[in-house]
Amino acid sequence: MRFKPILSFCFFSLFLVAQLRAQDTTDIMGQLEKEMNKTEKEQTYYTTATFKTTRLINGHSVENVGKGVLDVKISHRFGNVNGGGYQFFGLDNATMRLGFDYGITHFLMVGIGRSTFEKTYDAFFKLKILSQSRGKKKMPFTLSYVPTVALKTLKFEDPARKNYFSSRLFYTHQLIIGRKLSDHTSLQLMPTFTHQNLVLLATDPNNLFAIGFGGRQKLTKRVSFNFEYYYQLPEYKLQGTTNSLSMGFDIETGGHVFQLHFTNSPGMSERTFISETTGKWEKGDILFGFNISRVFTIGKKH
Amino acid sequence: MIKRISIFSFLMTMLVSTAFAPRWLFSVSSGSISFRSDAPMELIKASSNQLKGIYDATKKQFAFTVNIKSFSGFNSPLQLEHFNENYLESDKFPRANFEGKIIEDIDLHKDGIYTMRAKGNLTVHGVAQERIIKCELIIRNNVVSLKSNFTVLLADHNIPIPKVVHEKLASEIKVEVKADLIEK
Repeated sequence: MRFKPILSFCFFSLFLVAQLRAQDTTDIMGQLEKEMNKTEKEQTYYTTATFKTTRLINGHSVENVGKGVLDVKISHRFGNVNGGGYQFFGLDNATMRLGFDYGITHFLMVGIGRSTFEKTYDAFFKLKILSQSRGKKKMPFTLSYVPTVALKTLKFEDPARKNYFSSRLFYTHQLIIGRKLSDHTSLQLMPTFTHQNLVLLATDPNNLFAIGFGGRQKLTKRVSFNFEYYYQLPEYKLQGTTNSLSMGFDIETGGHVFQLHFTNSPGMSERTFISETTGKWEKGDILFGFNISRVFTIGKKH
Repeated sequence: MIKRISIFSFLMTMLVSTAFAPRWLFSVSSGSISFRSDAPMELIKASSNQLKGIYDATKKQFAFTVNIKSFSGFNSPLQLEHFNENYLESDKFPRANFEGKIIEDIDLHKDGIYTMRAKGNLTVHGVAQERIIKCELIIRNNVVSLKSNFTVLLADHNIPIPKVVHEKLASEIKVEVKADLIEK
């Protein structure tokens, strides 16, 4: 009679001991993981690969090229698809931009380019002010500042009148706020200010404001769908212009990134596609374009 | 009856005492892991000095781990990015582990050079493979220096190699581990 509870107590204890021992075999990994969690909390992990390349489609992404990396970019924009069979759906006409981007440090890159569109030269730098990170230093987004200066070298329309060199210059200041939401999805916001010294109409403002919005959704590890839209503030836009809307795909193959897209903007420098787009998607003023990016590493060890 | 109870309690004390026996633990004081991919067109090398590990000498159990993001030394920043983003998927699988038991009996009190085999699960890219990995131990003044070379087949860990980089990325990766373990 007295014996039974003792027996059950013994069994219970045995069971408990068996439990303890079973825990013990995985215990060592658990202990190690705890230690790792602790040390990893003390480190900062910066988000990488928010986008595949430094351009979303026409405009900049929050991404920089690495330190000591030269990125050669060749971009084409064809004519409007609604040109029909006679224009071979736009492929008869093409404008191109040849560009070179270089990473001075991991947070500063510079670039130059030449577009056939209005014979424009452009130069910019992109400074990463904040970098999305987790761990010790937590930052929910990346913030970059991109000022661009463009020089239009097309001959003046009226050489008889007094023309100023400054009339050829255009300035764009862009802030890019981007966040990699997950492995597959990244979004960014691009408030943009453009100043042009000379405008076509007296009623046109010299200072233009636009807010861009864009993102990417990865479809596979190496292919993503991108979109980009620039909304121009009605009081700060040129007459007759439309908002730029582009969508396309990034295809990455080792050192190359191919970007294929449809857009209503034929220009490839900031002020042209943001503030001088005239095509309308709904009217079929869509054109096909692509960017090819090839990176060359000049610095060593990474 | 009393006799039986005493047997039980004796048995229990035995079990409890083994369960709570003091453990003789070693941990990695400094550890590095490096790998190389020797492909016809490109040699890729990278390493991490953030290898961590614990060895329980009473049970001959070990566990090693490394944070994938801690690897550096690639040929280009893009390669580092692709390593994390496309191949190891370090956001999804942040660590590589090796845990298991030592097959041989080695007296860690005795200085000397030993060769032994570690049997356990090697987890890379979230895929565990049972492996027996040979390593060399040098014991001197209670410091255990470990060195091991082994290979990892990318296919074993579900890491596909795209056709375009076949000439640049080896399917078999050579790994070298070096670590000093000291008593905890």
